[in-house]
Amino acid sequence: MSTLNQVNKTQVNQVERPGWKRKRRPRREFSLVDFLVFLLPLLLLVILLYGMLGWTFYVSFADWSGVAPNYTFAGLKWYKMMASLDRFWVDVRNNLKWLILGVVPTVVIALFIAYLLEIGSIRGLESYVRTLILYPVAMSFLVSGTIWSWMYEPNKGVFNTILRGLGLDFLTGRFATNPSTATYWLILVFLWQYLGFAVIILQSSFRTTELQEMVEAAIVDGASRLRILIQVIIPNIRGGILILVSLLLISSLKVFDIVYIVTFGGPGYSTDVLSLHMLIATFQQHLVALGAGLGVIIFAMAFIIVIPYTIYAFRKWFE
Amino acid sequence: MKTKDPTLKILVLLSIVLLTVTYVLPMYVVVVTSLKTPPEISKRQYLLPSGNLHFENYAQAFKLSASSLINSSIISFAVTAIAIFIGGLGGYYLSRSRSLLAKTLFILVGIALYLPYQVILIPLVQIMAKTRLALTHFGLIGSYLILNVPLASVLMGTFFIGIPRELEEAAEVDGASRIQIFFRVISPVALPAYASTAIIIFTQVWNEFLLALTLSTPYTTTIQVKLAEVKGSFLALYNIQMAAALIALLVPLVFFLALGQYFIKGILAGALKG
Repeated sequence: MSTLNQVNKTQVNQVERPGWKRKRRPRREFSLVDFLVFLLPLLLLVILLYGMLGWTFYVSFADWSGVAPNYTFAGLKWYKMMASLDRFWVDVRNNLKWLILGVVPTVVIALFIAYLLEIGSIRGLESYVRTLILYPVAMSFLVSGTIWSWMYEPNKGVFNTILRGLGLDFLTGRFATNPSTATYWLILVFLWQYLGFAVIILQSSFRTTELQEMVEAAIVDGASRLRILIQVIIPNIRGGILILVSLLLISSLKVFDIVYIVTFGGPGYSTDVLSLHMLIATFQQHLVALGAGLGVIIFAMAFIIVIPYTIYAFRKWFE
Repeated sequence: MKTKDPTLKILVLLSIVLLTVTYVLPMYVVVVTSLKTPPEISKRQYLLPSGNLHFENYAQAFKLSASSLINSSIISFAVTAIAIFIGGLGGYYLSRSRSLLAKTLFILVGIALYLPYQVILIPLVQIMAKTRLALTHFGLIGSYLILNVPLASVLMGTFFIGIPRELEEAAEVDGASRIQIFFRVISPVALPAYASTAIIIFTQVWNEFLLALTLSTPYTTTIQVKLAEVKGSFLALYNIQMAAALIALLVPLVFFLALGQYFIKGILAGALKG
């Protein structure tokens, strides 16, 4: 039955699209003038960007410490120095926490919310929920960080006051000032801010005709809602999940504003991340080569994350 | 996919209530706190507004941030306008050409799309210091352009791919050049796409902190840098901090509420669903 449907659909598509044969005609390529107008500005900016990327790469192998530039080649000197820093390994651990806990819970919770919104047949509520959970996307990390510092403030802050008011004193905590758990509270701000973003992307993945038909078929077969989510929907929105995970990974890797404004890496450097360390090494300690090296490490991580996204985008684009 | 199962409906309602609390409470607390005096805040009654609303907190926060709001507006609007113009042109090329150059450029742009700014921070600071561009708005405008034009191109291109080729073919038959086709045929159809891309770029630039922190001078301080300053120097004055945070949020929030649909389309285009 389903194969029959597919055959019919292809035929219908061909009939409905009168211009489909003309698509075979070779595309007109761009002339030199077109090339200059359309491409040159973008090309120049991209070349500039990659030039600066190469520049940073070189600086990381130079012997530049101090305010004045020093481009003497020093090999791996500053990378070795980096690896000997305890702070660097704290950063790496914290960045891994961010990458895992900033992404996995966000995707899982967003999946459930998107699914519940999809199956809950309550009219008008959808646009309400969208606005409700999406407004933090318009917010800077500085603003959300400022707001959440106030929520977390141990003495007078909102959470502890509410908990005390409810008589739940034993649950009060030091949140972002407790070195062993502070990073998790910072990640929670990120989750709060990106949840709506994740829900929107997943919802649009649900809304393909093929998937809707498959779900209807599974309902007729008597499958439970949870089974439908796990066995029908998730396998069929792999593309959407892949993109979402890449975007969340890259955002949680880049996050530095939340750490800067809420804890500034403290207490000590327990919540420090590579991107904050890069800033401090370069502009406060003036160990510019070390800062460049940290930048290169961040870029390497971003590069690995962005490859699947780029390949997926490339295939979709030039298909 | 709709359900008629009552337990599921209750579950849906419950999660909506939970989400409402999670997303309204912080904003509510911020607004209430921003209208109190420090002694009122110390009384630890956050959930109730105080008897008299102290709008003078906003006056004070606004006085502190007025010049940085102007700087942020100049920088964000300039970057948005130029980025969507260049990005529109480049995105059109990427969406219509199949040449090796287009494919190579697409990969380079794809990698640059979400580049961590740290990677080009040191060269940027060097260039800005040497050319003295850092003393004017052009320094930050140029830096943000380099970082946002790739994104603008991909967003615009994602929308252009969805525009039927028949439109252009009709104009081609009439002998129009590529450039004429782009400005007379494609761009008018793509106005919503420009709006979506603009709102994404604008929000991103307005909210950016790392470059603004390292490249801005007292003449070009942006609102985010100012907010960090206010938070650092008014440590115990949570009312002023919250008022400043709301002022920093105001412009993007108004855009989001007024142009929400375009915002969502922009996000989806970034997820390649244009």
